[in-house]
This record gives sequence, structure tokens and C-alpha cells, in this order.
Amino acid sequence: MYAVLMSDPESGQPRGIDIMDEPNDLLMRVAHSQDKFALAALFNLYGPRIKSMMLKLGASDALAEDLVQETFLTVWRKAALFSSQRGAASTWIFTIARNLRIDQLRRQSNKPYEDLSKIELASDAPTGSFLAEQHQVIDRVTIALGALSVEQQEVVRLSFIHDLPHAEIATRIGIPLGTVKSRLRLAYERLRPMLEDLQ
Amino acid sequence: MTIHHHPDIATLMAFSAGTLDEVYTTVVATHLAMSEGGRETVKRIDAIGGALLATETEETLAAGSLDRLLSALDGDRIEVVPHDERGDLPLPLQSFLPRGLDGVRWKWTGPGVATADLGWSKSGHSRLMLLRVAAGRRVPEHGHGGQELTLILRGAYKDRFGVFAVGDIADHDEDVEHQPIAEPGEDCICLVAVDAKLTFRGRLMRALQPLFGL
Repeated sequence: MYAVLMSDPESGQPRGIDIMDEPNDLLMRVAHSQDKFALAALFNLYGPRIKSMMLKLGASDALAEDLVQETFLTVWRKAALFSSQRGAASTWIFTIARNLRIDQLRRQSNKPYEDLSKIELASDAPTGSFLAEQHQVIDRVTIALGALSVEQQEVVRLSFIHDLPHAEIATRIGIPLGTVKSRLRLAYERLRPMLEDLQ
Repeated sequence: MTIHHHPDIATLMAFSAGTLDEVYTTVVATHLAMSEGGRETVKRIDAIGGALLATETEETLAAGSLDRLLSALDGDRIEVVPHDERGDLPLPLQSFLPRGLDGVRWKWTGPGVATADLGWSKSGHSRLMLLRVAAGRRVPEHGHGGQELTLILRGAYKDRFGVFAVGDIADHDEDVEHQPIAEPGEDCICLVAVDAKLTFRGRLMRALQPLFGL
């Protein structure tokens, strides 16, 4: 998987990629030493998954490819911000892809998510704590997601991955809007113990 | 500021997924700008997206896409400057109200009640407005045509759900009826997102319908 990268003459980075590297370590290396090997490893890991997400919007193959490129250009340019925030690499990359998705659909004329990042940077909340453990948290959340009922998993996935508003989820599954919301609330309650480890 | 009334967790999940309609997103973001606890909750919910991405199926990328990325990299780094607190408005609202809350041009819409239109979402499904209720006055009892989000920016009001003060948000579904009364002392100013999928003649009428039962 990484053989091509190792021989990439362009990068000039001395360090190769150990396939055991945690995504968070990779992102920290992009942030601190502009490590192109690390960026390439993240691209290989998450690029195909982001493409899958974008295709589910109904994007064409070419547009999905462009959105993957945009996502990782943004990861490259904003990596320094990641180290100042808590959370896992996959979470941070998800939010970048989400923001691009919103821009692509021209759903928002202002930039509320960016505004909140600025506020977060200015706040004195503790930062950078336990970054190394964040990926384990993601693993635990993943297991907990798998343990949700099929109905709960369905609404969570339709919302976060398929980008459907709650009312459209209701129409698609053929259940009342209130049932969509109550399934999401129940899912959150089940995931909450794992999510609170993020503190 | 201590927040006593938070958005429904399902609303915060939609915010995290990025699927809320535009004006609802603006109201939630403005609330979160005022609520550190709310921002913590959303940060946790974001990890659901992170976990789903980590296990998402993989679609083969076009040949050469990694080379394309690497050759597009440049020295550009986006510096996000920490927000410098100024003015009386939370950041997500500043572009809507360049002259602040005291520069709002109010329209009289009933005894003790004034509104100001802040625009429609691009989808045309919902609208953002300011509502000002004079101290001690009541808003006529009303139901909602859809989800209604109300964030208190100044003053306070009371209804059967309790007292709502600055930073608090009321997140009501269409089946909720209530009759808010502004607390004495100061006018209560709220930021409101209302669903507008109602069939009335004018847009203003449509927007006021859920508020005043027109």
C-alpha cells in the first residue's frame, strides 16, 4: 500500500510510513513537519471512504473525486489547527468533508462552523489532551454503533453519511418524523458513555 | 452565562451531520457560540461521524489521484485567527446584524410585539427573524407550523416550560403550543427560526402565521 509512497522522489521526507501508525500521529506529522508521506497515508486510508460518502449524495464520480481532493487539500492547509483541538483524526476529517458537502450543496450562505472553530480557538478550554488515545475512543464508538438496533443504525447512517435531513429520513423509511428523532435520541443515549470518554 | 435550556439532542445531531436547514443552523451555531457546554456536546457527537467515516465502505479512487493531490500541494496554510470578542453579538450572527441589536429596524406587528426579518434560507423552507416583546407583555398563544427554534439574545421570557434567559434555546416541534410572557424589566429579544411551508398569500403573512395564528 505504501510502496509507491516510499519511492516518491517529490516528498524528500526522510521518514517512511509504518502501517501501524495511528491516524492521529500521521495528522500531527502533517501539522508539525508538513510531512507529505503522512498526508499520503491519510489519503490512502480515508480518501476512498470520503469518495463513498460523496457518491451517496448523488455526486458524479468526477465530482466525488474533486471533493476528495478538496478535502485533503484542506487537511494539508489546516492541519495546524488539528493539534490545537481534541478529538480523533477521523472525526476532524469527517467535519472537513461535511463542511465541503454543505458548501457544495450551497446550503449555507454564512460560515457558522468556521465561526465556532474561531471561538473554540479563543476559548481557554484545555487542548491537545490525550490525543494519542482518541483513536481508541473511535474504535469503541464504532463497536457501540454496531451494537445499536438495526433501526437506530439506519437513521444514524442516513443522517451522518447519506446527508439526509430528518424529514427526508422519515419519508424514505416511511415512519413519522417524531420516530426518527426518538431513534436518534436513543442512539445517542446508548453511545453516550463512549462519547464522554472524549473529554 | 449559565444555560438552562438546551437544544434537543436530535437537533444537535442534525447540526453535527450538517443536515439542518440554513436558518436553523444559524440559530444553533449562535446558541453554541454562547454555550461552552453545548460546544462540548457537539464535539462528542462529531465523533459519531468520525467513527462512521472510519468504517465507511471504500470506493476506488481514480488512477493518479494521489499524484494529483501531491502536485497540488503548495505552501498555503490557512491560519484561522482566534475570534476576538467584540460587540454585543455572537460571531455567527454578526454578518446578519452589522449594526448590532441596537441598529435593528423593527416592524410593529402587534401590541408590545415587533419583528425584524433576517432573510430566508436558500431552500426557501424556513426563515430567520428577530422578535422583540416589550417587558411584561405576552405573545399571543400560538402553535407552530413546524420546528421552531428560539434563542434568547436579551432579556428573558417565561412560559409553561420555565424561564428562558440569555443563551437559552427553546426547541419546539409543531405539536407544541405555548404563550410566552416577557419578564418585567427589559424587553426580550429573541432570534427565531421558523418553518415556512405554509400556504398563505404573502411571505410575511406566512412567517407570522405560526406566531400569531393569523
